[in-house]
Amino acid sequence: MGKQLITLTVNGDEYELAVASHHTLLDVLRNQIGLTGTKRGCTAGSCGVCTVNGERGEAILSCLSLAVEWDGRSVTTIEGIRQGGELHPVQQAFLEYGAVQCGFCTPGVVMSAKALLDVTTSPSEDQINEALAGAICRCTGHIKIKKAVRAAAAVMRDNEARDDG
Amino acid sequence: MQLPRFEYVRAASLDEGLAALAKHGADAKIMSGGSDLLVNMKMRLDTPRVLISLGGIAELQDIEELPDGVLRIGAGCRLTDVIAHPGVSARFPALRDAVAAVGSRHVRNIGTLGGNLCLETRCWYTNQSEDWRKARDGCFKTDREACHVIKTASRCHAINSSDTAPALIALDASVVLAGPAGRRTVKVLDFYRDDGVQHTILAPDELLVAILVPDDGRRAVFAKLAQRVGLDYAAGSFAASLRGPADAPEAVRLVLNAVGAAPKALTESERLLMASGLTDEAIEAAALGARQSLGEVTNLFTPSGFKRRLVKALIRDALVTLRDQTA
Repeated sequence: MGKQLITLTVNGDEYELAVASHHTLLDVLRNQIGLTGTKRGCTAGSCGVCTVNGERGEAILSCLSLAVEWDGRSVTTIEGIRQGGELHPVQQAFLEYGAVQCGFCTPGVVMSAKALLDVTTSPSEDQINEALAGAICRCTGHIKIKKAVRAAAAVMRDNEARDDG
Repeated sequence: MQLPRFEYVRAASLDEGLAALAKHGADAKIMSGGSDLLVNMKMRLDTPRVLISLGGIAELQDIEELPDGVLRIGAGCRLTDVIAHPGVSARFPALRDAVAAVGSRHVRNIGTLGGNLCLETRCWYTNQSEDWRKARDGCFKTDREACHVIKTASRCHAINSSDTAPALIALDASVVLAGPAGRRTVKVLDFYRDDGVQHTILAPDELLVAILVPDDGRRAVFAKLAQRVGLDYAAGSFAASLRGPADAPEAVRLVLNAVGAAPKALTESERLLMASGLTDEAIEAAALGARQSLGEVTNLFTPSGFKRRLVKALIRDALVTLRDQTA
């Protein structure tokens, strides 16, 4: 039951880590790398505060992923989504729309929304609901969260149009 | 909750997986995606000495459309990938709906189809924290010959909450199991045992390898009711399939889940619909018959009376949808 050496890329930085088999990706991000933006909540897959993005940009529950299974893979956390020193459009929109109450769920909700908007910047209402259903705001601020996600989508659409034009 | 300690074995191939299983036997647990198993391990419902991960086996992660029309889904395919597969959406929309009903997007990005079929049965007495359980008597699932949910029960009644199982049974799907002596293929319905403790026929040295969905012209529907729509275990789930015209069916299959330890084929109601077609009266009678055939309904997660009413409504609405799709 010794430790195993893994190589993990987090937000573009490569780490070589000795991890215990029973430690999750969440444990390693927070306790070994020191990136505490990703939160520990229910630890059972019901709340989504531990959400990070995997290689394909998909929303991953880091509390239900064994760190040893991430050897040679890469992950993006809330600390790694700024673009050129500026907040990511989702982060900016959460600020502008006050989509934060206590803030505990925010990293997980932002990473869940980013996973959706990286696939489509014109999400339907159903798609937004589906993407956020696994990320619970304990203060029940989902209306502002959804407004912020729609606003972020609009900004990202504009950015795409500008880049294309 | 932290995971208990265990020895981690990552199988690079099916043969390695089987060899590890043969070596560690009863001390080992198989992990596909882990979204169910790791939660149970954190709650100390499972404390295997060895964890054998199948995540590195490429063979388990393919979806193939075989020449005879059969869709072969590797047991290790992520639920998200099953939903995204064009052949699943186009040919088996009921399967897509059932897969999409599992957990949340976050869970489906981790969980696999094979894992959902093997989903551990659940009950409000046992699926509690370790401290909660320690303060009470054990049961069939732990260390006593007793059930605290149905006091008179002589076996475990923990509930099978797999959403994909009823859909796959309605589609007449099979599972491929691999063991030291070779492979065997069994119908998904026969994969299950009506016992919450040992709820599948999977032998301790066997692995679930693939799911085979035949295309025999059936149309199917899936319906689920849960307390929380976006992320919850079913209070009741139901799948139905129909071949031929709705007023003169050539084949009807009705399957209910989340009412007992195994998915339940509603054979009486199937016969009724075969005899008279999917008329309003026959649908009503089939739904009522299903409700009456339930037998012992455990008071699990929802009151049993609610569950009986739910079952009838779920079946009636789904059958009307199936008939109207067909018309």
